[in-house]
Amino acid sequence: MSIVELQHVRKAYDTKIAVADLSFTIEPGSMFGLLGPNGSGKTSSIRMIIGITVPDSGTINLFGQPFHRSILKRVGYLPEERGLYKKMKVMDQLIFLGQLHGLDATTASKRAHVWCEKLQITEAIHKKTEELSKGMQQKIQFISTLLHEPELIIMDEPFSGLDPVNAVLLMDTLVDLRKQGRTILFSTHRMDQVEKLCDNICLIHNSHLVLSGSMREIKSRYPVNRVLINFTGDDSFLNHPTIHSAKNYGGHAEIRLKEGADAQALLAAAIVKARVTRFEVMEPTLEEIFIEKVTETSQASQPAGVHVNA
Amino acid sequence: MHNIWLIARREYLERIRTKAFLVATILIPLLMGGFVFGSGYLASRTKSSAHIAIVSSDANFAADLKRELQTGKNSSMTVDLLAPSTSNGDATRATLDQNLTSKHGDLTGYLWITPPSQGNTRPSFTYVPRSAGDVTTEDDLSAAIKNVITREGLTRQGMGASDIDALMAPVVIDTSKTGDSRTAFGAAYLLFFLMYMVIMLYGMNTARSIIEEKTSRVFEVMLSTIKPDEMLAGKILGVGSVGLTQIAVWMLAAAALGATPFATNLIGGGHAPISATQIFFFVIYFIFGFLVYSSIAAALGAITNSEQELQQLNMFLVLPLAFCFLMIFVITRAPDSTLAQVVSLIPFCSPLLMNFRISLTTVPPWQIGLSFVLMSLTIVSILWVASRIYRVGILMYGKKPNLPELLRWLKYS
Repeated sequence: MSIVELQHVRKAYDTKIAVADLSFTIEPGSMFGLLGPNGSGKTSSIRMIIGITVPDSGTINLFGQPFHRSILKRVGYLPEERGLYKKMKVMDQLIFLGQLHGLDATTASKRAHVWCEKLQITEAIHKKTEELSKGMQQKIQFISTLLHEPELIIMDEPFSGLDPVNAVLLMDTLVDLRKQGRTILFSTHRMDQVEKLCDNICLIHNSHLVLSGSMREIKSRYPVNRVLINFTGDDSFLNHPTIHSAKNYGGHAEIRLKEGADAQALLAAAIVKARVTRFEVMEPTLEEIFIEKVTETSQASQPAGVHVNA
Repeated sequence: MHNIWLIARREYLERIRTKAFLVATILIPLLMGGFVFGSGYLASRTKSSAHIAIVSSDANFAADLKRELQTGKNSSMTVDLLAPSTSNGDATRATLDQNLTSKHGDLTGYLWITPPSQGNTRPSFTYVPRSAGDVTTEDDLSAAIKNVITREGLTRQGMGASDIDALMAPVVIDTSKTGDSRTAFGAAYLLFFLMYMVIMLYGMNTARSIIEEKTSRVFEVMLSTIKPDEMLAGKILGVGSVGLTQIAVWMLAAAALGATPFATNLIGGGHAPISATQIFFFVIYFIFGFLVYSSIAAALGAITNSEQELQQLNMFLVLPLAFCFLMIFVITRAPDSTLAQVVSLIPFCSPLLMNFRISLTTVPPWQIGLSFVLMSLTIVSILWVASRIYRVGILMYGKKPNLPELLRWLKYS
């Protein structure tokens, strides 16, 4: 049974189409990334999943059944636009939000204390929310979505506005939660951040689905043709026939191989004239795949006969 | 139900802990007390302070008038008697005018009595005050003059002084069998002004606290856990109980103040006691009125996105109240007329008008019951609509919902 299942979901606001024909499923215990640039329809999709808005057409199932309010007790949701009661004390706020999710005050308080310790914000517990830094507030909101130990965790741009240290802290927390068997769906426009996190992704652009599937499967669709070389000495090997294009940043070269070329031949050529300190054959990054896909589709969708230079 | 309770409790505790609440709870009774005692004190002073001069050629009449003014029921003025100099009255007039215009003059005004040209007509009276706005002194004078003239007339008819006194004594009407209409009226007014004040203060607070979620963007978290109508209901109850707490504190303070000997002295201590039934209905209708108007305020909060927009809409709270106020006068005259019966059943008016009718006449129990049913229905339906508006308004982002969409929304949440 899929935890989340979207089928041909469509949503339009006034004249703008926010989501057009989106379908994907999220399997239990997996980490799912909903990726796309700003304004591509990520938040609109998430709002429909947790029932804040309804799709114009298409169906959404949570835990194998159509949306019903009682399901929300099993879901933890962190909205993109963070909001907390400014005048409330942190602990009161956490307990209140925990109670709304069906916890009793003592359990909520106990769990909140544990989480505050885990995320290193114990000193903030007795302060008012408005006295805290934005990063701290974000951690508190993060905690508030997890207090009731939801089976499905949905986070809209969870890492935006955090410094690298805290972003890593939250990522590690999410990885821990997944290990405990929770299902996690999060959205982000920073594709580089999530490559190592996600099991499955769904890439959307201009409200259209561009790419979806398991991370490994998507990557395997693309040839492993990126080479990174750190070297000292002669750089004439960069003219080797296997190379499609290369950028040399003075001893640090990023190379894209021709189709079907063998990286070993390049390595052999390189060590003849230069001293190689690092040689790495890589798959394309998610960002590169995304850019490639988007340019592909936009070219394909261009009607014939509009080429200016024709 | 549990969620409503949680929202209400949060709202109540957060609000009651603020400094603004403490300040308002303590300062307003102090200011009101100051105002009441201050105005009472002033009123007791203005009565006696007038100092006037009477210019008359009829010494008897002037003396009677002086006695009336100095020892009368409502006045204890200082009165100087002057006779106009026979040859030239203008000299006396000039002196008095000078006294009035001068800063150091001690006169409040002077009364000039011109004797009648023919035997049977009244003399004519001219009063020149220091301040043209001094209406009280003028009224006192006019009443005193009338008394003196009546007395003179009666004496001329051959009536004895004691008979005249008996005749002129004020009439007391015994209304104890039907209930004191003044008390009923007083209670209605008290209720009206209390309601007005509380609705303006706390009704608007309800609306504001509903906007709070929108401006601080908490609504998205809230809506992902609870229903909008639970939130609105919780808000109304929470903010409402803050209002009721504050009023209860004020009432207790007022009761404590009223019990002091100083206050009973000032008020006169002649209050007819308000019956227990009246108090019971007062409280019940007050709470219902509060809820009805709070739910309107909640709807206003649901429609608007900022305080500014809200300000423009608060006439929707004031207009029904103003209508009730006008109706009070209609009902006073005929509390059982069809019009009175109809308007007192309108849910926005019942809290004020039905209660008012109950204190004036015997209202059939079915009407009282019906008013409660109608008010409850109104509250629920306003909330129902408001919570839909709230939800659609927040998340439609500028898209005006059309009818089929609205219907889908109503079915949804």
